[in-house]
Order: sequence, then C-alpha cells, then structure tokens
Amino acid sequence: MNTEINEVITSALPLAPILTPLGLGVLLLLPMRRQWRVALALASALLTLTFALLLMNATVGGVLVSELGGWKAPYGIVIAADRLGAFMSTLSAICGVFTVWLMAAQPDPVREEYHSFALTSFLFGGVQLSFLTGDLFNLFVAFEVMLVASYALAVLGSTREQLREGFRYIVMNLSASALLVVACGLAYGTLGTLNFAHLAQRSAALGPNTTVTAVGVLLLIVFAAKGALFPLGFWLPGTYPAVPHATGAFFAAVLTKVGLYALIRVFTTVFNQDPQLPNTLLLVLGAVTMLYGALGALSQREWRRILSFTVVGSVGYLAFGLGLDSPDALRASLAYLAVSVIVTLAMFLIAAVAERASGTRLVRARGFIEFLPLLAACFLLCALTVAGLPPSAGFVAKFDLIRAGLEGGTGLAYLATASALISSLITLYALLRVWSGFFWGRHPRDEPVRRLSWPERLPAYLASALVVALALFAGPLLGYARATADDLQSTRYVVGVMGDQPLDLPARPKGDEVQEKDDAPNTENIQKPQDSP
Amino acid sequence: METLFAVLVGLLVAAGVFLLLSRTIIRVVLGLAFVAYGVNLAILTVAGLRDESPPLLTLEGPYVDPLPQALVLTAIVIGFGTTALLLTVALRAYQVAGHDDVAAFGDNLARNPDAPDGQHADPEHLSPDLPEADHADDTAVQMAEFERLRRLTR
Repeated sequence: MNTEINEVITSALPLAPILTPLGLGVLLLLPMRRQWRVALALASALLTLTFALLLMNATVGGVLVSELGGWKAPYGIVIAADRLGAFMSTLSAICGVFTVWLMAAQPDPVREEYHSFALTSFLFGGVQLSFLTGDLFNLFVAFEVMLVASYALAVLGSTREQLREGFRYIVMNLSASALLVVACGLAYGTLGTLNFAHLAQRSAALGPNTTVTAVGVLLLIVFAAKGALFPLGFWLPGTYPAVPHATGAFFAAVLTKVGLYALIRVFTTVFNQDPQLPNTLLLVLGAVTMLYGALGALSQREWRRILSFTVVGSVGYLAFGLGLDSPDALRASLAYLAVSVIVTLAMFLIAAVAERASGTRLVRARGFIEFLPLLAACFLLCALTVAGLPPSAGFVAKFDLIRAGLEGGTGLAYLATASALISSLITLYALLRVWSGFFWGRHPRDEPVRRLSWPERLPAYLASALVVALALFAGPLLGYARATADDLQSTRYVVGVMGDQPLDLPARPKGDEVQEKDDAPNTENIQKPQDSP
Repeated sequence: METLFAVLVGLLVAAGVFLLLSRTIIRVVLGLAFVAYGVNLAILTVAGLRDESPPLLTLEGPYVDPLPQALVLTAIVIGFGTTALLLTVALRAYQVAGHDDVAAFGDNLARNPDAPDGQHADPEHLSPDLPEADHADDTAVQMAEFERLRRLTR
C-alpha cells in the first residue's frame, strides 16, 4: 500500500511544477478583487517552488519519469526530471516568486485588467514544461507556450517602445521556432524518434553521422537565437527594458537560460557522437558574445539596458563553458548558470528600485547612497558577482570556468579564455560606472527623490541575500554541479527513461493483421521504419 | 514526389524570407505564415511520401507513418495561434503609430529616453498606456520628503 502511494507520488511529481501554474493561471482569469488575485498568484508561485524543491530532492536518487497517458517511453510523451531539469526548475521557480511579489508591490491597473497575472502564470508553466519535458517536439510546444505568454507580456500596455521591441522579439522568435520544427522533422526523418533518450540511443547506435550532426547544428542555431548568442541576440537588449520591472526581471533571469538549458540537454545527453563542429561553434560564438555583451554594457546609459547587455555576456560565458566539452567545464558552467540566474534577478530588482526612486531610467542622478545605502551595498555586491571578483559566488564559478578553459589545451580555448578575462574587466568597469554615476557623489538639489514602500524594496534586498548565500554555500553548489555534470556525462538519463532492457518494437501493421491479436515483436531496429535512402 | 516537394518547400521558404525582409509589418506577418507552411510540408516530406501507403487501417498496408501528420497538425494549430497574436500586435502597432512601416516606431538606440512615450497618431484607438503624469500630482509631497531626507543626512 505504502509503496503504491509512493509510486503514484513519484510519477506525479514531475508534472506538479508544470500543472500548478497552468491550472492556477486559468483560475486567475476569473474576475476577482485585486488582493485575491495577488494572493492566488503568490500561492501558485510558492506552490510551484515547493514542488520544484521536492523534485530536486527526489531526483538525487535517480531520474523521475511521468508517462503521459500511461504510454511507455518511446511511444508516448514523457515528462522526465533528472538533476539538471529539477535544478533549473527550482531556479526559475525562485525567480517566479520574486516576480509575483514585485508585480503585487507595483500596482498597474491597466495591465492587470488585461490579465498580466494570468499571463505571467502561463509563462511560468511554459518555462517549467521546457525544463522537464523528455521529448524534442514537446520541447517545441513548451517553447511556444512560454513564448506566446512572453509575447503577450512584452506588448501588454502597447506603448510605442513595447510595440517596436515586442514586434522584433516576436518575429525573431517565430523564425527560430520554424527552424526548430524543421529540426524536429529532420531528427524524426533520420532517427525515427523524438524522445530525447531514444534519440540518444539511436544516434549512439548509428555512430558519427553527418545528417545527425547537421540536425544538431540546426538545433544549436535555434537555441542560440532563443538564448541570445551573438549574431542572433540583437533583440534582447531592447526588449527587456521595454517591459514592466517585474516581468523584465523574470525575462532577463530565466528566458535566455531556457535556450541554454536546451543546448546543454541536446549536446550532452542526445547528440554527443560528433561533438567537434558544435563545440567549435559554441566556443567561437561564446567568445564573441562575451565581448559584445561587455562592450554593449559600456555603451549604454540606461539602467536596464546596461543590465540586459550583462545578461548577453553571461550567456556567452555559458556557451564558452559548454563548448570546452570537459567534465570540469560542464561543472563550472552549471555553477555559473545558477549564479547568473540569481544575480541577474537581483540586479533587475535593484534597477527597479533605483529607477522608481530616481524617476528616470537613466543612470544620471548622483548621490543615492545618502538615501538608499543598503541598495548601494547590494548593487556593489551584485556588480562584483557579475564581474567575478573575489568575495562573491561569481568569482568561484568564473575561476572554475577559466581554469577549465586553460586546461582545454587548444588554441581556440586559449583565445576564448582571453576573451572571457577581457570582457570580465570591461563588465566590471561598466558596472562601476553605474555605481559612481548613481550612488556616489552629491545629489543635485533639483532632482526629486521618490520614497518607496518597503514591499517594493524588500525583493531587491532578499535577492541580494540569495546572492550572498550562493557565495557562502559555494561548496555545496559546486558539489551539486559536479554530481549533475557526472549525471549528464553518464547514460543515467537514457537508462532512467528507457529502462535497461533492449527495446522491442512491434512490427509495422499490415492490413490483414489488423483484427488479429498476435503481432510478432521485432527486435530493435536502428534504421527508421520507412528505410530512408 | 520528394523532389517536387523539396522544390515546393524551397519556394515557400524563399517567398517567406523575401516577405520577412520587407519594411511593411503586414508583409512580415505573411512572410512568417509562408515559412510556417514550408516547414509543415518539409516535415511531411522527410517522413516519406508514398502513393501506395494508405493512411487507413481498412486498406492493405504497409501504412504511412501517422506521427508526422500529428506533428504537422500540432504545428499548424500553434502557427494559427501565433499568427493571430502577431496580427493583433500588427493592428495595435498600426493604430498607435498611424501607418504600417517599421520605421514608424523610430530607431532603437538613437531614441531620446526622456521623450514622452505614447503619442497616438490614431485618436480613435487610444492605447491603454499608463499616463506619464500619474505621479505629477504628488510632486509637492516628494519635494517635501526630499527636503526632510536632506536635513536628516546633513
């Protein structure tokens, strides 16, 4: 009896963080008073976080698989949570709680009338689904759920700026989605399956194959566009500052990381037979993206534009770590991923307070250390974390990353490492310029200072406290990242989803066999059923 | 059959990309629709096109694989939704900007960030912008607060 209940719970747990925000998001569409709506949205975010933490606890032992409709892995769609998926799910759920809090603290009657709370909840659901799905085509569906909600949030309010940036964002992402569908079709045409684990088995059985590599590179382009790697990330620095503060914080902290999660999943678990070309591409793109982000941050004068460019830079570091393709580099990237999500969240929440207090989006008013000393301290800490200087978690993760780069050995790895060091320095300079431009100096008399209520300021402080916690608990963080990297390098995910028995595919049905019960099971055939030319 | 479809997919995607590069918003939307159609045909093509395989179980096999059709169906539904959303955004952009050229929204980086945002070319369809002046009435309060803070910190 007890084991039965346990089984039900473990099979339902991967679904819980997905269904909670989607279901409660539908409830949020009902007409109700604002405080009820806020309470419901906050409850949904907290419940999602609880489920994500439970999932993280449960995946320490192995992969949790939830078979939709009871269909076994290669036949039906599975929701599979391994360490990486649960980790990402938890990080995004944390960001979700802060986002809802800030939305509640900054009333926005117009956007709330047009269901910004429900759309945010759908966005959380889509993000969770992309982290937990075990199927390539379902990943496309998850991306669309997430992106449609984000499109609506990006243009909700219809200011000129939002429409301009939102239209560009939508067109860019729809083009990338079309490429993703093509990649799904090609993967199915070549390997005859769409399940991640089954794809991994079949591409391993097929060995290095140019068509599979081409599909992999096509997927790399798609995820590079979603994750804002250099030539495809031009939409990002304009879009994130155009949306309201709370939504912008979630976009910046999580949405690019979804693309990176997909890159990690595809190139460590699925298409790992011929890593030469994807790794070279990732290294080059990563190195250029870092420099682009750092120089872009230097060139801007607005709070959230500067921070958006640092987001682009952090994506570059992650691509660099992934392109090095060693266990140490993977561990360092995973640790950096966690640090980057939390510190970006904290930075955008700080920017929300700073913009509201000074009444302008420009980093112009000086002397705010007089009025907001704690915020100044938080900003300095986060700036050090983003740049990667010692008393911060950013230093630990970046040090690990640079060391892995130096151990990489190839000329390209050295070049990318040099780019990482240079762009860290430029990022530090850009962020210290914000510090000296906004917090330092003497406040001009004629500029007004708006006093903010504590619920509006507290998220920034709490998120900064999380950044401190990451620095204090860097050891456990790196330990978890190490275990996750080991999982990704082994076949644990594949075995967890597919089982360790060889798969018995039934023969293709013939017309005369339809009414009969016995269809002789065929042994595992690698070639696709239609035997491609 | 496959060759014909490959050429067709190429033509559709080429037309779509050509329209995507246009400056007119509605052409961009149509271009994305063309690309989506090309993509759907591509899935059907890579899954194998045969005259002799019927899709129904009442006829003699071997049957055509039903999964790509399910994929295409899903892609069509999602494409329908996103196209509808994009059309709504395009309409809104037209209402707010007054014409449907992408230049209507101005240049991104040369923008003056202090300029009032939300001037409407079409007074019939005002966008639900937050009025810029929603904090203007409490400027006096803010200034008093500011003075108090200055006194405190001196």
